[in-house]
Amino acid sequence: MEKVSLKFSIMLTAVMLAAMLAGVWLAAAYRENGSRAILLPDQAMTLFPAPKPLAAFAFKDHENRVFDLSRLKGKWSFLFFGYTHCPDICPTTLATLARAHENIAKSSAGAKDVQFVFISVDPNRDTVGKLRQYVTYFDTGFLGVTGDNAQLGNLAAQLGAVYQLAITPGMENYPVYHTAAVFLVDPRARYHAVFAPPLDAEGISRRFEVLRELEGPKAT
Amino acid sequence: MRWRHTGFACLILALAPIAAATEEAGVSVRDAWVREAPPGVSMMAGYMVLQNKTSRPQVLVAARSPGFETVMIHRTIAKEGMTGMEHAPQVELLPKASLVFAPGGYHLMLLNPKRTLHAGDRVDITLEFRGGLVLAVAYAVRK
Repeated sequence: MEKVSLKFSIMLTAVMLAAMLAGVWLAAAYRENGSRAILLPDQAMTLFPAPKPLAAFAFKDHENRVFDLSRLKGKWSFLFFGYTHCPDICPTTLATLARAHENIAKSSAGAKDVQFVFISVDPNRDTVGKLRQYVTYFDTGFLGVTGDNAQLGNLAAQLGAVYQLAITPGMENYPVYHTAAVFLVDPRARYHAVFAPPLDAEGISRRFEVLRELEGPKAT
Repeated sequence: MRWRHTGFACLILALAPIAAATEEAGVSVRDAWVREAPPGVSMMAGYMVLQNKTSRPQVLVAARSPGFETVMIHRTIAKEGMTGMEHAPQVELLPKASLVFAPGGYHLMLLNPKRTLHAGDRVDITLEFRGGLVLAVAYAVRK
């Protein structure tokens, strides 16, 4: 009886050891591949295998400085098209991006090489002063930019973004239709990835941190 | 004994209208909030969870508030790769079901607040349903 029990406990110990080893191996495998697996095609982010270099454009930022192609170089840029008279999707997206920014700032690589740019497609109503008040409310580091319709159309077309102002004479609060995705441009000013709505801060920051680590030396 | 029965019947009769009224007011609202507006912005949005506790559909037909110049029921929609807003003249709540007003979907579009609202404030909005049901709801302003 005692012999059986001893055999049984040896077996049990062996099984437990095997399970522990399997666990360690799985954890190691996850560390190896898990971070990359997050960048596999999913609904939250589309990553382009051959990032597309952007061509020249010219905007003004919320401090009235020129914001052109050179301002996209040397940093990862998150771009979002919208307008300040937008009650739902724009404030929701900017609040989400502010949280993503916070998460990235807490990561080991920090947020020094990251910028967030709100591009107003409604330059008639969104003056430089208005943009400054608006973007800095969400995050003091955010940039607000706008330009004339030709320049807005130029960058929008390069990113595959669309927008439409439903201007109605005599109507002050005309609606604007716009792409609600967030575009990611790499430090070589190449259109690198796009985040599709519904957006969540953790989904964006986690994917971005992995992408930045993998692309790091290549992207700059 | 007989008196006690009569008393009980009276109690039931007295309670019946209350039960009917509860059934009438069988829509509840929770998590009602309004997003604080950035400075200089006069367009805000209100959100909440509506629950229809009755076994009949309930139709939200209007929202009003003394705190804003205009209140409209809106829905954020996506079409042809763009996101925009459309006016929803009425919103039907299915029997015994909830409907969520949330960012990116249904919301109350709140135009021109009478005073500047800050996180922590409360603002009253009245929801009107077909058939006369009216609910006064306090919305919490938050970031």
